[in-house]
Amino acid sequence: MSDRDTLSKLDKINSVYGMFHDFGGEWTDDTEFLFSAKDNLTSKGFETCAGSRILEGYRPAFDATAIARMKEAGGQLIGKTNMDEFGFGTFSANSAFEVPKNPFDLGRSCGGSSGGSACAAAVLEDHVSLGVSTGGSVCCPASFCGTYGIVPTYGRVSRYGLIDYGNSLDKIGLLSMDPAKLSEYLPVISGKDPKDPTSCVQPELRIEHRRISSVAVPRESVEGISDSVKKAFTDALESLRSMGVDVEYVDMPQLKYAMPAYYVLATSEASTNLARYCGMRYGRQDGDLSLGFDDYFTSFRTEYFGDEAKRRILLGTYTRMEGFRDRYYAKALQVRMGVIDAYKAQFRDHDAVLTPTMPFVSPRFEDISAMSPVENYKADFLTIPPNLAGTPHLNCPCGYDGDGMPIGMQFVTDHWNEDLLLTMAEDWDRQFEVRHAEVKV
Amino acid sequence: MKIGLEVHVQLPTRSKMFCSCPTTDAPAPNTHVCPVCLGMPGSRPVLNRQALVYGIMLAKMLGCKVADTTWFSRKTYFYPDMSKSVQITQYDHPIGEGGVVYLNGKKPIRITRIHLEEDPGKTRRTAEGSSLVDYNRSGIPLAEIVTEPDIASPEEAREFLAQLIADIKHTIDIPDDGERSIRCDCNISVGKERCEVKNVTGLKNAERALRYEMVRQIKILKAGGKIERETRAFDEERGITYSARKKEFEADYGYIDEPDLGIFRIKELVDSVSIKESPAKMTQRLSSQYGIDEKKAKQLVSTSVNLAQFFEKVASAYGTQEAVRWVIGPVTANWKRFEERGGGTEAVLAVLGKFADGTITDTECTIELKSVMTGESAAEAAAQTDDLEKIISGYLDANPQIVEDYRKGNKKAANSVIGHVMKSTGGKYSSSDIVEAVTRIVESRI
Amino acid sequence: MDRDVVARVARAAHIKLTDDELERYSKDLADILDYFEVLDEAPGHEGVGVNPVEVTNILRDDVPGQEIDSTELLRDMKTYENYIRGPKLV
Repeated sequence: MSDRDTLSKLDKINSVYGMFHDFGGEWTDDTEFLFSAKDNLTSKGFETCAGSRILEGYRPAFDATAIARMKEAGGQLIGKTNMDEFGFGTFSANSAFEVPKNPFDLGRSCGGSSGGSACAAAVLEDHVSLGVSTGGSVCCPASFCGTYGIVPTYGRVSRYGLIDYGNSLDKIGLLSMDPAKLSEYLPVISGKDPKDPTSCVQPELRIEHRRISSVAVPRESVEGISDSVKKAFTDALESLRSMGVDVEYVDMPQLKYAMPAYYVLATSEASTNLARYCGMRYGRQDGDLSLGFDDYFTSFRTEYFGDEAKRRILLGTYTRMEGFRDRYYAKALQVRMGVIDAYKAQFRDHDAVLTPTMPFVSPRFEDISAMSPVENYKADFLTIPPNLAGTPHLNCPCGYDGDGMPIGMQFVTDHWNEDLLLTMAEDWDRQFEVRHAEVKV
Repeated sequence: MKIGLEVHVQLPTRSKMFCSCPTTDAPAPNTHVCPVCLGMPGSRPVLNRQALVYGIMLAKMLGCKVADTTWFSRKTYFYPDMSKSVQITQYDHPIGEGGVVYLNGKKPIRITRIHLEEDPGKTRRTAEGSSLVDYNRSGIPLAEIVTEPDIASPEEAREFLAQLIADIKHTIDIPDDGERSIRCDCNISVGKERCEVKNVTGLKNAERALRYEMVRQIKILKAGGKIERETRAFDEERGITYSARKKEFEADYGYIDEPDLGIFRIKELVDSVSIKESPAKMTQRLSSQYGIDEKKAKQLVSTSVNLAQFFEKVASAYGTQEAVRWVIGPVTANWKRFEERGGGTEAVLAVLGKFADGTITDTECTIELKSVMTGESAAEAAAQTDDLEKIISGYLDANPQIVEDYRKGNKKAANSVIGHVMKSTGGKYSSSDIVEAVTRIVESRI
Repeated sequence: MDRDVVARVARAAHIKLTDDELERYSKDLADILDYFEVLDEAPGHEGVGVNPVEVTNILRDDVPGQEIDSTELLRDMKTYENYIRGPKLV
């Protein structure tokens, strides 16, 4: 299927998989390639809702820097991909709009929160999609949909135009079936941007094809994972050894603090970011202005935020409240520094830390709805540590379970060492047979 | 009685604090706006270097310990004027802490802290009850200066604010556009519990609000009542404070760090920023260095810091006595017109040089100073001075008691001469000319 | 978690909860906070933790300029004579 075909069939494809919130476009003379972007990246020409009803009708006047840079490189943005509301989820099931379906089994989740992006990357030929990761939102869906996914160092890609979840955690990354596309487009979207101060401290991203020669596997990461994931991961370690990579099991006890620290920071920041959505200026504004401002704001927020958004707003408001702030928010900041130190200690002896990406293969939608919030949060225990630490990480497909559902492994390197990950993805792709989902259109 | 103030000063940057929107007067509401100051999803702040520099200058001026590392925090609250429902401010790492300001060179008023923050937009009410918001002001840089409750009365508060405002304006070169660019929150307690009067504009209103609040609290206590700790608002028109319905608890602000800006290690910048001597400090120094009366020093400085600098120039060239005689005399009298004309002080200094080497007499010196400084012809100035001096001398000849009283230390004795001359010349001479001439002639007779 | 605390948090966050929701979120938050207890035993750290990589001294020159026309920004907003409409101030 050529890119032109893809464009003409978007409607049909989307009716099967539901990966897009808003989409469309015609092939033009300037078009060199097609790409899609998660719907929390602002874009001219498409409605941008970040999976939330409260933003319905928001048509940004500016492109996110990452989108603008892809366009400058000849890319045509063909759609905004469905996601958990503001990125709050692991399965994209917390979308106020359509929930994307897994290309390997339509009864299962694409993962989240960049589920629509992973779905587009898995289904559309030669496609690359911009995703965003706060606590695992690129690697999780990449793992569940059997694609490659890279999240660069915090600050590598400008967050200008990214609708914030947690500003000290959010990172824009790429998903594709083709690892060469990660190497091609990561340099395109990277680089300093005067509109995002956190992008302005980075050293240049050099593609030097440096190789990972040794990995540390935390023992903690292979506890509490499903048998099929364990088997695929163990097999992958063997393959890596055969590629000449040293594999060593290590202890990283600090990782157990990463998840609570992450949820405290992420929700504290999110609850302040989401304060701006209150029925004025953008998105839904159809309320009764004769109401007092407290009641007016409350009515919008109560009606248009989804269940998980409310839960995280409440949690984050609590953890930063006077009296609780020191125990939760301030402590979580310290714990993050400790987790970063733990990674740095590993990187003295190893090029990367390697774990499975998710503890299980993509669950069925009915199983997801039965999960409690804590069970939900725990599913991210492997993707959260590098996200908390701001270290770059990569999902590589590394196996399939008995039902043919993809399994992924996650490499983590030191800050600014994306080059090692890009080389690994390409090397891995040469020796591992990645399966493409059968497209049902 | 204890009074503490939180003073908000707009910093005179050309662009806003976190975006490049201009800070000049806008042609219409919501025209000096961008995604950042409108709080649009996906936008983010970038700090204006000059706002940071101004903050450092003020922290130094206030004698604060300036931080080596400083950063910003988010204060979350819901109000239509705050486009993000989050104000970027400083919480636990402000730019400066622990300063002190000496009111009139004597009474220490401790400065708790100074921090930087952004101004919200402006709101208006409509007839049918909704609001209209203009975000042109959203993101204008502010410095907030917080004092300890060291101020003893509403009058003292006003005096302190006047000194503070003069010092701030001089330090960071705020154009003299009146006092309304200063807003403050006033904390006052007569007994044990304090009330905060929020958002009072200008120093006159600060004194009015505090005076009203002082009387209100005294009345309650006298009647055996209890002061309730609360936030109050000030009604400028009626001159009263009233309880603000919405209670604000600090807890609800839920401060967290602002990750979008990063942190600022400013030790080098702080070392590289030097500040001009503030008017208050200059007054104290002139008084002690030249042994002149504090009031005279204050008069010099408040007329113009440039005048005070000229005083120092004359003192170093011709001695303090001549500087007092000429600069606090005729030069001060003509200074306003001189500055309006925008001339250099070299010519003025040259006139004094001629007097010092005996080329001209004191009367000729007075005439030449006036001529050089105001641009009037020497003849005109001479005629005026001559007439004026004749009237004064005639009156003093007729009333020798005046000089005698003045000599004994009753400086007010000169007032009757001034009054007489003003009446008899009917506005022909400026009051500053008359005051100067009377003082000079009376003193010359002693 | 105490229902009163959750109610206070919800008020601060400007979210209205029904009794059922208050019950449910109180339980959820209690479960989550139990799970966070491990933080108490985590070692502290002296570093400055604002960002995961240190972002220092990124400043903008004080040069005014506007990239996007304000009418474009106000396009989808509710306005009146170029003011943005808002609720009652109380």
